[in-house]
Amino acid sequence: MTVAVDPALAADARRERRFFLSLSLPALFIVGLAAILPILWIIRQSFLTTGGEYTVGNYEKVLSSGLTWSALATTVELSLGTLAVCILLGTPLALALASARPRVANVLMAFVMLPLWTSILVRTYGWLVLLRRDGLINAALTGSGLTAEPLPLVYNFTGTLIGMVHYMLPLFLLPVYAAMRDIDANLIRAAASMGATLGQVVRTVILPLSAGGIFSGSTIVFIYTIGFFITPAVLGGGKVNPLSIRIERTLSTFQDWGSASVLGILLLVLMALIGVMFLAARRLMTRNKVGVAHA
Amino acid sequence: MSWLRISLAVVAVSAALPVHAQTVTITTAGGDYGNAIKEAMWGPAAKELGYDVREETQSDGLAALKMQVTSGAVTTDIIHLGSPEGAQAAAQSLLEPLDYKIIDPKSVPDGAKSDYCYPFDSYGTVMSWNTKTYGENPPKTWAEFWDVAKFSGSRALRANAQDLIEIALLSDGVTPADVYPVLSTPEGLERAIKRLEAIKPNVSVWWTSGAQSAQLLKDGEADLVVTWNGRAQTVKADGGAVDYTFKGSVIGTDCLGVPKGAANKEAAMKLIAGMTQPARVARLTDFIAYGPVNPAAYKGGLIPEDRLKTLATAPENAGTSVFSNADWWVRNGEAAQKAFDEMMNR
Repeated sequence: MTVAVDPALAADARRERRFFLSLSLPALFIVGLAAILPILWIIRQSFLTTGGEYTVGNYEKVLSSGLTWSALATTVELSLGTLAVCILLGTPLALALASARPRVANVLMAFVMLPLWTSILVRTYGWLVLLRRDGLINAALTGSGLTAEPLPLVYNFTGTLIGMVHYMLPLFLLPVYAAMRDIDANLIRAAASMGATLGQVVRTVILPLSAGGIFSGSTIVFIYTIGFFITPAVLGGGKVNPLSIRIERTLSTFQDWGSASVLGILLLVLMALIGVMFLAARRLMTRNKVGVAHA
Repeated sequence: MSWLRISLAVVAVSAALPVHAQTVTITTAGGDYGNAIKEAMWGPAAKELGYDVREETQSDGLAALKMQVTSGAVTTDIIHLGSPEGAQAAAQSLLEPLDYKIIDPKSVPDGAKSDYCYPFDSYGTVMSWNTKTYGENPPKTWAEFWDVAKFSGSRALRANAQDLIEIALLSDGVTPADVYPVLSTPEGLERAIKRLEAIKPNVSVWWTSGAQSAQLLKDGEADLVVTWNGRAQTVKADGGAVDYTFKGSVIGTDCLGVPKGAANKEAAMKLIAGMTQPARVARLTDFIAYGPVNPAAYKGGLIPEDRLKTLATAPENAGTSVFSNADWWVRNGEAAQKAFDEMMNR
């Protein structure tokens, strides 16, 4: 009797799976259309001359230009810089949020999220008001006599980094905060009862247990910042030129779609490389954790 | 029965009326400038011709034009470009030839004539300064602009080789008439780039849009700004501590073209002819200080006397300036821009 029921159940399960798959089809279709097709188009474009003939000349031109490599270096510098500041500022902030009483944490969280609800353009121009030569910060500094001359806070690398950190910090904070909130408070109490100092608790309990969150946060920061355009364009003063700006320049000044496509592919490859590196590092970390547990 | 009669009447009436007014789509740079072009030029012309004109805006006209033409999806009938971009677009066969049977060929001076993009107004790339910093003693020539010992203060220049390499040569003692002959020699471009490299440490911002250069002037972010006269004039008129001079300016023109494969080609030509009538390009100066190219616009008092000194092409401002040479830029633009970008990178 039971043997007779099983195929019916299995058929049911199959039907269900098919149903769910068909539900996801529109989404898959859109992803395919909106992500994969343009990428294929860009790859094709990168092998075409302006006249439409096949060539590898675009690659030769872009890869042999010093401008490309310095743009690549600027891109990585900006991303690493943003990441470093996000970790330095974000991790203690997440710790404070996670250990605050829920009601306080909610209020603080709202403040952290506020920038996310504001347009990036508005925020970027907001920084101009604060950072420029006679902006609020410089007016306060020179007015109080702390500095004789206004500091060059914007239209350079510093200004760009400030703007980018401001944008990325909430996105970094969320996964770190989630990981820290999930830490069993008993573990911290246990560590403390065994005589661990605050520093030791952070180092041996909190950081290892929230490493996954810090990792996800870092990945988000890196992937996002690699393609940043508005912030360096507005706050960089023409002196900070990552790949995104190089692409825009190649398109708007030279109308060279082939070379711009090559630069786009370079950006894509960079992202893929970093993605793979993060995945590998993550796997290594979890393996080590397992090793520790066994020992 | 009466219902049927009414429907029949409606059908009869709609058949008698033209189904649509002629529509024409125009693409401009938008902002204050785009509005000025609408109010003074195509708005009145569209009313006169009975056209239904739609407006699109693009800050980078050439890139948009190229995308539309190469993808075969041409949505605009008239596009507003800088003349160097117009020449570039013509060289890449992105524009229809202008129909000089519809547009009056005598409305353009010989030096500015183009077969593909109709030049209608002019602007100067000028030196402007903060009057709080320099008072009555601003730099008077490009050589003085380069003299950072005598005129300390931060500079803001456009992050683009256009006009700047001409200005760099002027600052190095080249006369306006010799600028392009010198630039056409192999050492000429290098000389200009070296000159720009010399002033680079004193440039606090390399701006990328006209609006940004106006903001820098207005906020006092930079003491000396190379910008377009219309932008400097707007800031000055708004009460900014700013002044500027046409001495040594590089004069450029903006033009109107019809994209290759535009749907309403003939109507577009008619609208270009209509919107660039002398009275209309003269009226453009009510809104923005960009002087008409058509000499007829300067006659008959169409432009008030006191406004003439704010226009790059007004007779009294012409002497020391250089006319930007669109053909030179088509031939050498990429090399010049590359040399410029490499200089920025060093």
